[in-house]
Amino acid sequence: MKRNASRLLVIMMCAVIPVHAADDPKQRKDLAAVIALQGLPCGEVVRYEVKGDNDYLATCKDGNRYRVFVNAEGRVVVQKQ
Amino acid sequence: MAARIAGILLAGLMTGCAGVPSTPPGPPVREAAAPAPPVPPTSAPDKSEPKPAPPPATVPAAPKAPAAPAAVPRKPEVAARKPEAAPPVAAKPEGPPPLDLESLEQRLKETNAIGVLTKLSLKNQVDDLLEQFRDYYQGRLKTTLAELRRLYELLLMKTLSLLQDGDPTLAKAIHGSREAIWAILSDRDKFSKLP
Repeated sequence: MKRNASRLLVIMMCAVIPVHAADDPKQRKDLAAVIALQGLPCGEVVRYEVKGDNDYLATCKDGNRYRVFVNAEGRVVVQKQ
Repeated sequence: MAARIAGILLAGLMTGCAGVPSTPPGPPVREAAAPAPPVPPTSAPDKSEPKPAPPPATVPAAPKAPAAPAAVPRKPEVAARKPEAAPPVAAKPEGPPPLDLESLEQRLKETNAIGVLTKLSLKNQVDDLLEQFRDYYQGRLKTTLAELRRLYELLLMKTLSLLQDGDPTLAKAIHGSREAIWAILSDRDKFSKLP
């Protein structure tokens, strides 16, 4: 029982790890450029969260939040949150 | 005798003054004038062909009698040779940049000026535009070439604005190829040959 609980805990921790706030200025700039390329208002990305592989949640200076990800067809998609 | 020397010197000075206005900017003339005096007047016409400034500076210091006859014929020579020397300098930047799409594509892929997501997003937009051209040529899209040109210019502007700070050389190369790329896109035959 204890073993199962600890296993479950490890699995949960692993699942949580990808979703974390990050602060790489290059990545912020990249996200801001992608959002701007879609013609969406942002200005500057002040922070972002990594939700998975090529999947980000970007927060802009003006308060807008966008999910930026690469879909199955290889297209960069920007969704307003 | 003194009057003759003064006349020769004056003539020399005048010929020198006549040559100066047509010379290039001042500072180089001043620099060129300094090392010139030690050069004998006989060798001056041959060596100082492209730089007409030294002769006037040398004339006052040069021996009196031979200076005047030598200075007078120099005028037409200098005036005639200047235009010949100028064209090669002006001709250098004129050459149209050759279009190398593969090289530009490779450089875009390799540049560190933009991130991976931006590159992918740009590629998506380039593919979309190419698709629009394809549809236009196949009659599936009712638009004009002028409208496609507007979209092309917009995409190019986006690309240049992303590159100009981080990779100005590549931005310049793309900007220089603008018309050449458009010449391919706007020609049905050339476009159909694109890979």
